[in-house]
Amino acid sequence: MNPATSGFTLAAAVTILFNTALAWAKDTYAPLNSFMKAMTGHHWTTHGLADLALLVGLGLILTKTRAAEKIDPARLVSILVASVVAGGFGLGLWYVFF
Amino acid sequence: MLGCLAAIWVFVEAMNASPSNAARIQKAALATAGLMIAAWILGGYWYVHFYPAEKTMILKGPWPFAHNLFMETKEHLFFATGILAVLLPIATREKLYANPVARRLVLAVSVMIAITGLVVEGAGAVIDHGVKVELLRGPA
Repeated sequence: MNPATSGFTLAAAVTILFNTALAWAKDTYAPLNSFMKAMTGHHWTTHGLADLALLVGLGLILTKTRAAEKIDPARLVSILVASVVAGGFGLGLWYVFF
Repeated sequence: MLGCLAAIWVFVEAMNASPSNAARIQKAALATAGLMIAAWILGGYWYVHFYPAEKTMILKGPWPFAHNLFMETKEHLFFATGILAVLLPIATREKLYANPVARRLVLAVSVMIAITGLVVEGAGAVIDHGVKVELLRGPA
């Protein structure tokens, strides 16, 4: 796969996990939620912008450094799928139990 | 929902990837990304500006879980859908007919966009019903 595909695939996997972790952090630490609300007027808007900034920033860095190419491409696909499953269930189960 | 349909279009095209449909796969992937970004902006505008009134109704009604579980999950899961939708046009720049791993990546990303998008849609239906059951209860 070309460097951009590998780089942005790994960046997407990391960003999806970051997205779930940030949702947990906002829920457990109210000052973070307040800070994010103060930044753009709504915590959800800030959350989305943080996700996009991480995806684009990390994707560009990984593309330029070719760091993601060190990972076997088939494994990269598995990492992405695992991150979506873990991130999705991580959100659902969090709001069921907390 | 249009974004989900576009992702399914990419999935079907990628299943039959060949030099003849390579350009069409890229266009379908761009359509998926464009529609999901539009949903992100328009849905986000609605959520930020108009949902708070509905949230208040849901929380005092008989279905508070419509917000506490379904909206909380939906509003954050949609980001994963959006991230995958941004990745899709990048992945479809590969020669899918000659690269089995890249083809597998596109198949996986497009199907995950469709699944997470449908989960988000389904959660939206429960949230709507959370408002409806409170309205049907009438004044206390």
